[in-house]
Amino acid sequence: MSAARSKKKHNTDDYLRMYRQMVRIRAFEDNANQLYLSAKMPGLTHMYSGQEAVAVGICEALTPEDKITSTHRGHGHCVAKGANFREMFCELLGKEEGYCRGKGGSMHIADQANGNLGANAIVGGSMGIATGSALSAKRLGTNHVTVCFFGDGATAQGLWYEVMNMAALWKLPVIYACENNGYSEYTKTDEIAAGSLTARAEAFGIESFRVDGQDVLAVNQLAQRLVERCRKGEGPFFIELETYRYHGHHVGDINRDYYRSRDEEAEWKKVRDPISNFGNWLIDQKIMTADELVAIDKEIVSDAEAAVKYALEAKYPDVREVDMHVYAETAAWGETQ
Amino acid sequence: MTREITLSKAVNEAIAEEMRRDPAIVLLGEDVAEAGTPFKVLSGLVEEFGTDRVIDTPISEPGFMGIAVGAAMTGLRPIVDLMFGDFLYLVMDQLCNQAAKTHYMSGGKLKVPLVLRTNMGATRRSAAQHSQSLQALVAHIPGLKVAMPSSAYEAKGLLKTAIRDDNPVVIFEDKLMYNDKAPVPEEEYLIPFGKAHIKREGRDVTLVATSSMVQVAEQAAETLALEGISAEIVDPRTIVPLDEETILRSVRKTSRAIVIDEGHQSYGVTAEIAARISEKAFYHLDAPVIRMGAMDVPVPFSPALEDITVPTAAGVVENARRICRGELVHAA
Amino acid sequence: MPHEVIMPALGMAQDTGQILAWHKKPGEAVSAGDVLFEVETDKAAMEVEASAPGYLTDVTAEAGSDVPVGQVIALICETPEGSGSASSRQDAKEVPAASDEPSEIEGREVIMPTLGMAQDTGLLVRWLKQPGEAVSADDVLFEVETDKSTVEVNAGHDGYIAALLAEAGEEVPVGQTIAVISAGKPEAPIARSAGPAALPSAPASVETPPAEEAALPVKAAPAPTAEFRSRGEPQTGGRILASPKARRLALERGLDLERLVEAGHAQPFHVKDLEALKALPPKAQAGVAAVPGRHLTAEIAEDGFTDFTAWAAGSAGLTDAGALLAGLAGASLGNLPVRVAVEGLGTRQVYTVSSTLLGQVSKAEPDPAPDLCVRDLRFSRIGAVRLGAGDCPALSITRAASGLCLTLECTGDHLSADAAVSLLSNFAGRMEQPLRHLL
Repeated sequence: MSAARSKKKHNTDDYLRMYRQMVRIRAFEDNANQLYLSAKMPGLTHMYSGQEAVAVGICEALTPEDKITSTHRGHGHCVAKGANFREMFCELLGKEEGYCRGKGGSMHIADQANGNLGANAIVGGSMGIATGSALSAKRLGTNHVTVCFFGDGATAQGLWYEVMNMAALWKLPVIYACENNGYSEYTKTDEIAAGSLTARAEAFGIESFRVDGQDVLAVNQLAQRLVERCRKGEGPFFIELETYRYHGHHVGDINRDYYRSRDEEAEWKKVRDPISNFGNWLIDQKIMTADELVAIDKEIVSDAEAAVKYALEAKYPDVREVDMHVYAETAAWGETQ
Repeated sequence: MTREITLSKAVNEAIAEEMRRDPAIVLLGEDVAEAGTPFKVLSGLVEEFGTDRVIDTPISEPGFMGIAVGAAMTGLRPIVDLMFGDFLYLVMDQLCNQAAKTHYMSGGKLKVPLVLRTNMGATRRSAAQHSQSLQALVAHIPGLKVAMPSSAYEAKGLLKTAIRDDNPVVIFEDKLMYNDKAPVPEEEYLIPFGKAHIKREGRDVTLVATSSMVQVAEQAAETLALEGISAEIVDPRTIVPLDEETILRSVRKTSRAIVIDEGHQSYGVTAEIAARISEKAFYHLDAPVIRMGAMDVPVPFSPALEDITVPTAAGVVENARRICRGELVHAA
Repeated sequence: MPHEVIMPALGMAQDTGQILAWHKKPGEAVSAGDVLFEVETDKAAMEVEASAPGYLTDVTAEAGSDVPVGQVIALICETPEGSGSASSRQDAKEVPAASDEPSEIEGREVIMPTLGMAQDTGLLVRWLKQPGEAVSADDVLFEVETDKSTVEVNAGHDGYIAALLAEAGEEVPVGQTIAVISAGKPEAPIARSAGPAALPSAPASVETPPAEEAALPVKAAPAPTAEFRSRGEPQTGGRILASPKARRLALERGLDLERLVEAGHAQPFHVKDLEALKALPPKAQAGVAAVPGRHLTAEIAEDGFTDFTAWAAGSAGLTDAGALLAGLAGASLGNLPVRVAVEGLGTRQVYTVSSTLLGQVSKAEPDPAPDLCVRDLRFSRIGAVRLGAGDCPALSITRAASGLCLTLECTGDHLSADAAVSLLSNFAGRMEQPLRHLL
């Protein structure tokens, strides 16, 4: 009885945390979008909204020591892996307190304290890094798992096939998580990918899975299972997560009629939104009331707004930092000739 | 105790010593294990360190380069063996977009301590895709260090330093020098980066030479000495970081400089060093600074053609004579 | 707290957006997610949604206007009355439409003319014609004040005043259209202000350097654009070919490479050729001591010193231009105090310069001999000077093709080559930007 209750409590905490993390990603992106639209944010950014269940479902199955690599559409992974709003918004605005002291920006946030090896602005560019991180885990015996997030567009990069081959040969603890949001930049995935995506991984003898990327529980359950198997040395794995990006390829991609219809966008938002669906499930299961969820939403929105305000007022890095961190200081080499 | 060993043996010793010292070091590349590479540079390492640390990869240069970058970011210290320098083009994204920029882009949080060992050098009758000297390509990218050993002694000391450096380092070995012997101490030693070596002292002209071009410069200096021209030879050892001060000090003394490197002459290493001399020692120059690089042609196969594409001792002598005699060089 | 409605940045390289239509009226209630307005950018129309619930108020940009991205165009408030701030339609900084208003008015454009030498704007004093009135090309249309004089400007075209696009008292940038003259009588002639492009007119005031600038420590001035020529080098054509090092050593040692040319020595010259040069017999020059003298020139802009004397007279009450020159020259020499003789045409006055500060210059007795002589020949017809070194280094100031020419003459005993170069560089810098150095 008491064991059952503690398990239920454990689950409730996990569910609430997943709900909160998804709402945090959405709140972050809404504010990032607003910063861009109001011309307060330099550069360009790519919105993760709509795909929250993927990042949260997977990252909730990881420990802080497990590693991820992320993409140009990376804010969601970063939040899900434990990053703070303040340092993230500061980075987006190029401020000194940002995760990368303003040197990376939206597309290069790295948060190694939480196991985030960084977003990558080259499509598919982090596939080698993720695989190398898995090699480190195996070689050093750390038992850490690495998840390599990438989009359907990146499956067209040759690098993926090279590193999958080596990961399979060397049985590395890496999970290749392909977020198939249906569009490779401004082109339908059907037009750039022949055959099936899972068959690509299966050709290397890598066990492959497809899952509804809008269902955070389904994603999380699969991820838990595969992470455990990776720790036992049964990796690598491939997951194709069917999902949808609500915005365009980037924030300025507003005229999308030529590649997808407004009806399609409206349908996904109405029927398959990962946050409202999970929220409704929590209410149906009597885990939370609607009012409690609204209170959570409000609290997170106000956290995000406070972080934005903080970041807008934060200072830029000193110009003397411009040539700092080009090279790492190397500890003493020992005796030299 | 000093004995004479080949450059190939010096490289092998450097890696073995460092792998014994630091278990985080792994060796990664095509045919690095039992085969010990086509040049047999790595023979015997797999026997000592096993296939967990001496890892044969498929022929997937971008793939294993990328894996090395990720491994370096997470606790290993990979030494990547790139069989030919010409394959650098295959790994450019992983080397230049990922490895070189990670420390900077992360605001100093992430480090990429890896060594990319590769080679350079023409006149091996290997034609245009196995003969290039591409050091200028990587020296152009901030975040990478570039070492160019000129002998077995240099190769061992520089490689050990490269392995201990916390940054991505590209080290170019001249593939024609693998069997060249030089005195190498049995005791451990390191050669620091960014400190040029004055290989020979002289009065009349400074020969700045990299890698095997140091040998070319030495031959030229012998000939010039017979004619009463005293040449000073400066080996930068690393072109990034570059020991500008030693080069400038030498040129201020001799008033003349010839810069020799086996990369293509245009937009190359010789151009960069010559430009720095011209900018910073202008009022000490008594002659134009001469660049001597490889001809701006793809390396041809035919020996009759290939041999005339690279700088030679005779060419260095000829240029040194002209500038020391005060002849008009390339001027109207 | 009201939420701002902002013209969004939507395209990749977009500066403005055009509002196609408002879907809500001012004062109307809105919910978050309601479409507020439509905007056109990158050839696509896009609906912009309300980010918060409330009432749409304080709309400052209407349909059809182009608005810079990031600009607030409305508020969403808790009450339909709005923010109560003075925000009004005029606050919206509309970007002028590509087809500017005057060109839409049929007729010939009259622009604010450029009258002065360095004039950016003209002050419109008054119009002499009314909108709709007939004019001939020779009629005076308006008066404009520039460079402290008032000028009458003719209409230039026959016809009718279709538009007056600036008001009396406005400073209008030169080149801007201020009136339109139409062939036929206009039905609805226009008269309006020149708008935001016009500057508020202010009484002409003497420009004085701002106090804080004066208080700042002296900054390194940009290197004066001075050209130094070693004595005797051909000043036109016939450039001598010599290595950088040979040239530098020749300059340092006061050697004349031209003499090697005359001796028939083969070019290019290198350091070893300087030995041959030293071995040449000394060449006597009429009127000039056989001791090799130094002769350096520098060319500078003229207005720096001219403006400075005007300012010094007006603001600091320093009317003695000779004292100002002595101060600048003395400070250039360094080792203060020094005695500086200033010679004009037929005049000579010795000053003691005791500090680099303005006003720390006093007249002194002719004896003992001065450390430096300044020959002020700006108002003579003399172009270049080669007077030879006297008892002390002499700086001559003459007019050049554009600006001033500064010539330093001295002997090798007076000043080393380095010191001579340094003195003339300093003096050129101070003459170009006297305030920077003196205050």
